[in-house]
Amino acid sequence: MTLMQIADVLEAELAYGPKGWQKVSVESVFSSDLMSDVLMSDREGMLLITSLSTEQSIRSAGIVGSEVVLIANHKTVTEGMIQLAKELDITLLLTKFPKYESCIRLGRFLGL
Amino acid sequence: MDPKPKEPLPSSLRVQELICGLKIREVMTPNVITVSRTCTMRDVQTLMKENSITGVPVVDNSRVVGIISMNDIMNALEKGAMKDAVTHWMMGEVQTLAEDMPLSFAISAFNKFSFRRFPVVNKKNELVGILTFRNINLALIRELSRQLREMECQHEASIDLDSLELVKVYPLHRYDFENGGKASSEIKKFLKERGLSAKLLRRIAVASYELEINLVAHSTGGMLSFDINKERVKISSHDRGPGIVDVEQALTEGFSTANEWIRSQGFGAGMGLPNVKRVSDEFAIQSTVGMGTMVNAIIYLNVKEENED
Repeated sequence: MTLMQIADVLEAELAYGPKGWQKVSVESVFSSDLMSDVLMSDREGMLLITSLSTEQSIRSAGIVGSEVVLIANHKTVTEGMIQLAKELDITLLLTKFPKYESCIRLGRFLGL
Repeated sequence: MDPKPKEPLPSSLRVQELICGLKIREVMTPNVITVSRTCTMRDVQTLMKENSITGVPVVDNSRVVGIISMNDIMNALEKGAMKDAVTHWMMGEVQTLAEDMPLSFAISAFNKFSFRRFPVVNKKNELVGILTFRNINLALIRELSRQLREMECQHEASIDLDSLELVKVYPLHRYDFENGGKASSEIKKFLKERGLSAKLLRRIAVASYELEINLVAHSTGGMLSFDINKERVKISSHDRGPGIVDVEQALTEGFSTANEWIRSQGFGAGMGLPNVKRVSDEFAIQSTVGMGTMVNAIIYLNVKEENED
């Protein structure tokens, strides 16, 4: 699925997106607030859903090669996070839904 | 059997280069405390005590005519002769060094004579400074640090997109989560620009980032260094403490000594070191409580795709 579809399903707001972010393809979803777990993940085309709204979430995504971070639970993002997303070419989306509900919505969309 | 001549380490060559390149003038202490011929031994003793020094040149008209050391003071004290003028007790034939000599000459002089200090003179034979081993040590440390900084800057300046050679050191401070991760991101970018596969990039970045976060979260400060060539990436983490009590335990998944604050940052699940080990081809750790921890992780770049995970 593309990021545009994900943004639609989760009624997400864009905090930062590099040019052409709408067409970025997502192959897998990983949801966690524990960056230690994120760093153990080994997936391609990964979307990170987290309610840990810190620069380290963006940094950790960049480290494992994830191009999209979705901040769940209505959390606000800092200017530092947006700057870092820009620097690392990461799309940063915000949703009002909690992590669990975000995952369920994506699952339903995929017909799982 | 012909024994191969031992090649000197590049670091010792650099020190040799330095001691030949530096002039005594650049290393000596320039403002020397001196006494004149008419001063008494008591005056010298007071001067030494007040200034925490162990040797004082005796000067007449800017020329060094003698030197009084702690030993001379002790001898005079023993004889109850502290009121004597310094000329009775000073060593009269003083070995001086010229200010424009290379530092290597001074080191030879220290080896040849048993003196702990040498007065330094200019072309007119006037006293301009004094040189001790402490001066030499400090100058070498200062110069080596400067060269290291320059080398780091050069690496930054001359980015060659074809070259996979990089040596870089990043200092890291305790609880500086704001900057923790910058080094890893920078190294990842460097390697990405040189076309490394996504899987290799991820392994290197994960090892580096976990070590970087460990330095920030657990150590009292340290450094993360990278030594990269076309065969491998070597990541080394050195810190100044506190050291790991049980290394075996620290390598067990789930074991963590992290506090609440570290956990609130999304870390401290006890997966850091095991994760570094997991993604590295070679992994070594050494730790001493009170001294610090050193971790070396090596990832080879020429592995086949199927072996990368």
